[in-house]
Amino acid sequence: MLDIRHLKKTYENTPVLKDISLHVNKGDVTAVIGPSGSGKTTLLRCVNFLTPADSGELTFGGRTYDLSRMSKKDIAAIRMNTGFVFQSFNLFANKTALQNVTEGLIIARHMPKDEANSIATQALERVGLKDRASHYPSQLSGGQQQRVAIARAVATNPQIIYFDEPTSALDPELIGEVLAVMKDLASSGMTMLVVTHEMRFARDVSSRVIFMEDGNIVEENDSRAFFEAPRQERTRRFLRTIDRSAI
Amino acid sequence: MTDRVWGILVDSFPKILLPGLRMTIPLTVIAFALAMVIATVVALIQFAHVKVLTPLARFYIWVIRGTPLLVQLFVVFYGLPNLGVYLDAFPAAVLVFSINEGAYCAETMRGALESVSVGQIEAGYCVGMSYTQIMWRIVLPQALRTAFPPLSNSLISMVKDTSLAANITVMEMFMATQRIVARTYEPLALYLEVALIYLLFSTAMTALQRWGEKKLTVGGALHA
Repeated sequence: MLDIRHLKKTYENTPVLKDISLHVNKGDVTAVIGPSGSGKTTLLRCVNFLTPADSGELTFGGRTYDLSRMSKKDIAAIRMNTGFVFQSFNLFANKTALQNVTEGLIIARHMPKDEANSIATQALERVGLKDRASHYPSQLSGGQQQRVAIARAVATNPQIIYFDEPTSALDPELIGEVLAVMKDLASSGMTMLVVTHEMRFARDVSSRVIFMEDGNIVEENDSRAFFEAPRQERTRRFLRTIDRSAI
Repeated sequence: MTDRVWGILVDSFPKILLPGLRMTIPLTVIAFALAMVIATVVALIQFAHVKVLTPLARFYIWVIRGTPLLVQLFVVFYGLPNLGVYLDAFPAAVLVFSINEGAYCAETMRGALESVSVGQIEAGYCVGMSYTQIMWRIVLPQALRTAFPPLSNSLISMVKDTSLAANITVMEMFMATQRIVARTYEPLALYLEVALIYLLFSTAMTALQRWGEKKLTVGGALHA
C-alpha cells in the first residue's frame, strides 16, 4: 500500500538519506530503529512532505508520484489519507482536546459538526480520554497530550499513521499509557510506520523492523527474526550495545 | 489655590473633556483599528516570506520607525499640498497615526506569529488543513493573545501621542487646553488638568486590557 523507491535527501552537502527503498503492506506495523542521526525522522518527514525529498518515487493509494516534483494538490490529497503523530505532540494550543480532533474533520474535510463531534468523542474514548474532551493541551499531561494527538490522527480514518518517536519526549512513567494505545491500534489492523527507540515495542508489537544507519537501511526483517536471528553483523552489534534489560 | 483658579478649572473641565471625547478618542480608535489591519497584513507577509512584498514591508517599517511622528504629520498636512494633495486635519491625522502605529505593531505581530511553534503548523498540514486555514484558526488566535499586552501598550501610547495632532490644527484635548491657557494665563493648573484627563483615559484602557486578557486566556495558560 506504501512503496518508496530510491528516496534521497541531502542537507547542505550532507546526505541524510542515501537511496532508501521500502515497502509497507496493509496492516503492517513497521518499526524504524537505529542510532541518532541515522535519518529515521527525516525519512518519515519526507514521506509526508514536511521536508521535501530531493528525488525518489512514492506509490500510495494506487498512484505513483515523483518526489522531486510534487504539486500542492497531490500533497494535500495524500495527507487526507495519512495521519502523523509527532514527538512533541504538537496539539493546537488554542483548541480543546475535542476541537483538536474535530479540526481536521470539520475544516479540512467539511464534515458536519455533529458528525465530527461524535467521531471525535469515539476517538477520545478509544485512547481513554473521553472525560478530558473539554481540556486544553496545557491542562493535560504529556502522555495525555500524545494520546489526544493519536486520537486526532485516528479520527481522520487514514490508511496509514506515521509515528515520529512518539514516546521520546515523555516522562518514563507516562510512556506505558501511550504504548498501550499504540498496541491497541496495531491489533485493530491499522497500518503504522513507527520511528522509535522503544525496543520492546519494536519486538513485541511491530511485525517488521527496519534498522537504519547513516542514511541507509542496514537490515529489514520480520521483527522476530530481526531480534533473534539478525542477518547483518552491524545489526548484531547494535543489539548488543542497547540495554538488554530494555528488551 | 485661589477661587479664581478653581473656577477656571471647573469651567474648563467640560471644554477639555468634550474635544477629548469628540476628537482624541475617535482619532485613537479609528487610527488604531487601521494600524492593526496594516500590522497584521505586514506581519503575515513577512511570516510567509512573500516574494517582493517582504522587502517592501521591511522598507516601510524602516522608514516609518526611523522618522519622527511629528515630522510625518507635517509632511502629510503641510507638505503634500505642494503636490496638490490637500487633506483636512482629521483625515491627515488618522492617516499618519495609522501608518505610524502600523509599523510598530507589525513588528509586535511578527514576533507573536513567530512565537507559535512550527510544530502546530505541521500538525495542521498533517490533518489536511491548508496554509490559510492553519493561519486563521491556529496561528493568528494564539499570536493575538501573545501580542495583546504589547499592543495594549501601543494603544495607550497612542492616546497620548494624539496630542501631537494639535500641531496640524486638529482640535483635540491638548489644543483645547492651550486655547484656554491663552485666555486665562493659568498654564500650570490647566496643563495638569489635561494631564489628569489623559491619565483617566489611559486608566480606562488599562482596565480594558485586563478584561481583554482574561477573555483571551484559554485553559489558564497561553501555550502547552
